[in-house]
Amino acid sequence: MTASTNELPTDATSHEGPETVPGLDRKDRILALLAGDLRALPIAAGLIVLGLFFASQSAPFLTSRNLSNLIVQSVVTGIIALGLIFVLLLGEIDLSVAATSGATAVFMAKLVVDQGLSVWLAVGGGVLAGLLIGAVVGFWITRFDVPSFVVTLGAGLILGGVQLLLLPATGRYNLLGTGVDKIADTYIVGVGSWLVWLVAVASLAALRYSSYRRKLTHGLASSLVRDVLLPVAMLGVLTAVLVWVLNGYRGIPMPVIVFAVLLSVAGFFVTETAFGVHLYAVGGSGEAALRAGINVPRVKITSFALAGALAAIAGIIAASRILGVSVSSGGGVGGGTLLLDSIAAAVIGGVSLFGGRGRVSGALLGALIIGTVSNGLNLMGVDTQVKYIVTGSLLVLAVTLDCYIQRQTSTGGR
Amino acid sequence: MTDEGGTSAVATQPLLEFRSISKSFGGVRALEGVSICLRAGEVVGLVGDNGAGKSTLVKIMAGNLAPDSGEFLFEGTPVTLREPADAGALGIQTVYQDLALCDNLDAVQNLFLGRELKGSWLSGGRVRRAESEMRARDVLRKLRLDKLSLTRSVGQMSGGQRQNIAIARAILWNPRVILLDEPTAALSLSTALKVGELIRTLADQGHGVLVISHDIHNFVMTVTDRIEVLRLGRNVASYVSKEANPEQIVNAMVGGKEGVNSSR
Repeated sequence: MTASTNELPTDATSHEGPETVPGLDRKDRILALLAGDLRALPIAAGLIVLGLFFASQSAPFLTSRNLSNLIVQSVVTGIIALGLIFVLLLGEIDLSVAATSGATAVFMAKLVVDQGLSVWLAVGGGVLAGLLIGAVVGFWITRFDVPSFVVTLGAGLILGGVQLLLLPATGRYNLLGTGVDKIADTYIVGVGSWLVWLVAVASLAALRYSSYRRKLTHGLASSLVRDVLLPVAMLGVLTAVLVWVLNGYRGIPMPVIVFAVLLSVAGFFVTETAFGVHLYAVGGSGEAALRAGINVPRVKITSFALAGALAAIAGIIAASRILGVSVSSGGGVGGGTLLLDSIAAAVIGGVSLFGGRGRVSGALLGALIIGTVSNGLNLMGVDTQVKYIVTGSLLVLAVTLDCYIQRQTSTGGR
Repeated sequence: MTDEGGTSAVATQPLLEFRSISKSFGGVRALEGVSICLRAGEVVGLVGDNGAGKSTLVKIMAGNLAPDSGEFLFEGTPVTLREPADAGALGIQTVYQDLALCDNLDAVQNLFLGRELKGSWLSGGRVRRAESEMRARDVLRKLRLDKLSLTRSVGQMSGGQRQNIAIARAILWNPRVILLDEPTAALSLSTALKVGELIRTLADQGHGVLVISHDIHNFVMTVTDRIEVLRLGRNVASYVSKEANPEQIVNAMVGGKEGVNSSR
């Protein structure tokens, strides 16, 4: 216990006094850390191990071209998982996200191809449709107090039907040459890519530094190295490597920039705003949140709406990447593997199915793990069957770990 | 604001007064013409057996329930509370028996839950965390709870610490009246005594405190100034704590002869 406190911030040592909870021994503390601040550590380690394994099995794995591909492949899953995190933090689930991504992508394609709308209007329409679908689903769940599991299961099926209705007799809208195809096919190279990198790092630095300044002006302990320089340097180095790798192929793909922006904005809202606190509060104890005066239905409807909008963005990126929409957009009717992959990504990324626990970065890490497994096994020439088995096993492992942490930490302090 | 009435012990005008409040749930009469008053700087104990109507009374004071009839006066003015926020606006804060804390949030987040200090729209509505932490620290210091960690999740804290966080949350908004529903039910004797000291501190600082408790011998007798006894939804007795003995009170609670001492 004493050994670990040496590296902890000064404000953490102050509560090591006589009021320390009895029975909170070393194992409990490690579990508590795993449930909180260090939750990303085993996931990141797992990602590195997977990467090393596939690199040893297949020479092309570590090429810029393949890594660029892998990342773009992970973006669609990652964005859907990001939306799911809002809902999962509340302790709810949305089984209609993949279907939403499919139906809204087809809707967007219909606007472009049949109605001749400009790409940006159509994209806006698609995202708005996703937002509305999520809002309606959220409204239904809160207004009639029905389990989100069932409502979204039904909504997924409904949206699957809508998707088929929107499609023409050929069952496909071709988006090649419409301008939608440009979204996924735009790359930022050279100086531009480094400018993007600089903006990202500077944003984090500004955010961290302003927190640090405010803590100091209010007489609270804060360290420039620990709270500002270290996180900024870590993000800076990681993203620099990423930009360098991507520049080795064609540059930073637009979908990656979209995902990065969405991750940052979502991260800001979840960690820095009252809405974020309320998400965790509702997921942690709905009753306590209600009595604290939080408008719980509004928080829920907002979260489902955000999940819908993000699913729509993912659907549009997928459509742009594969140059069209069809029956199988959004994972096919019911969401198929796209739905399962997105849920798996969030859960593998450390977001609890019980609500109230998890981070936005989980969407990134989880999606990268799913993407790496899929990409690596493909390169090794492994059949789809095996891919399913491996991904499924990872999911079961992640959920088991989640349940274990939940049980251990929730009995810790009472 | 809180030291209205100066040092002259207890102010004459009650902060909060109930005049023959009644409340029924369907056919069940939970409260029948109950009257009670609470002055600044005093601790009033509300005792009674299960079903006496204590919780109903507190829920009405907290704005969670509306009375069927009777008068609710706050500083001599009749008021109607439609929702808990109305009670909060008057300066009435409630600490519930189950504490209503979010275990996955830290102390600061719990203290400000639902009332976060938000930055301007320019900052994206960012929570003013540093300022919140500072104010939390000030409140905890005022309650002599400096040792409590502000940044640890509440779920990892002991029962007494959690109780203290819940009380600090009520104090944060500098309320006139604090309602405590069974603050010691889940605590060990020594921790309960500490919570008792804390409640005395609150009264000394000018708050009016109403506390529901079953622990007559160890807690109510030592912590309160006055004791109101409810039985089956009616006022049955009131005592000045110094002049009462536990047997009398328990007797009044259970309604006379049977089970005088052992009925707790």
